[in-house]
Amino acid sequence: VSKRTILPIRAALTLTPSAVSKVKQLLQAKPEYMGLKVGVRTRGCNGLTYTLDYTKAKDKSDEEVLQDGVRVFIEKKAQLTLLGTEMDFVETKLSSEFVFNNPNIKGTCGCGESFNI
Amino acid sequence: VTSSRGHTVRRWPSLISPVTSPVHYSSVSLNASSTADDSIYLSESCVKRLTEIINKGEYLRITVEGGGCSGFQYKFLVDTVRNEDDRVFEKKGVGVIVDQDSLEFMKGSTVDFNEELIRSSFQVMKNPKADHGCSCGSSFSVKI
Repeated sequence: VSKRTILPIRAALTLTPSAVSKVKQLLQAKPEYMGLKVGVRTRGCNGLTYTLDYTKAKDKSDEEVLQDGVRVFIEKKAQLTLLGTEMDFVETKLSSEFVFNNPNIKGTCGCGESFNI
Repeated sequence: VTSSRGHTVRRWPSLISPVTSPVHYSSVSLNASSTADDSIYLSESCVKRLTEIINKGEYLRITVEGGGCSGFQYKFLVDTVRNEDDRVFEKKGVGVIVDQDSLEFMKGSTVDFNEELIRSSFQVMKNPKADHGCSCGSSFSVKI
């Protein structure tokens, strides 16, 4: 029997500085919402895709991630899929998008929108 | 968008095999290129976004390449060079460049700037040549 190791508790989702500032900016523009909610949905050619919405209240089963003053909630269904994911915001001249660097996924679609685990 | 005339014209290449057909096909495709359906349309949101990001002398270049999960995919980049085989589609001072080869795969479609919470990007919409695309819209397969 191996010795039991105790791991430090990590946030289910981490945000990069650029994601934090973008979420802050989005929420400042819409003060009636308290945070963003991340979810997954069955869509796309590779099984699942991420969804992102404004949210006004925390649902009972939501996981709350509070980082640098911004709140992001994770839907119950997405909690297992998203565990350990880094949320990034990438902005170029032609596009701007939230990117999820998810260590659990096995493959993605060419455009990166859809994935499977 | 398609006029009845443009529609009948465009049906012909699919009936005649494009590879083996000699004179008929080329004469038909010449006809087709003179119709309005040969161009690329720019949506309001696309024009608005382009005016924000494009400097003078720059264009948005769209190319169609093999790749993606459905066979073909669109590539967007900002370009200052106009080549000989390029077609320019302008609206309200901003322009989109498509080279002749890529145009064959996307003529008649609309370029849109799609803004969502999770991502905002340029997209090619309503492509009459595309059969069924990937959910993200960057990849598509061609109607045969």
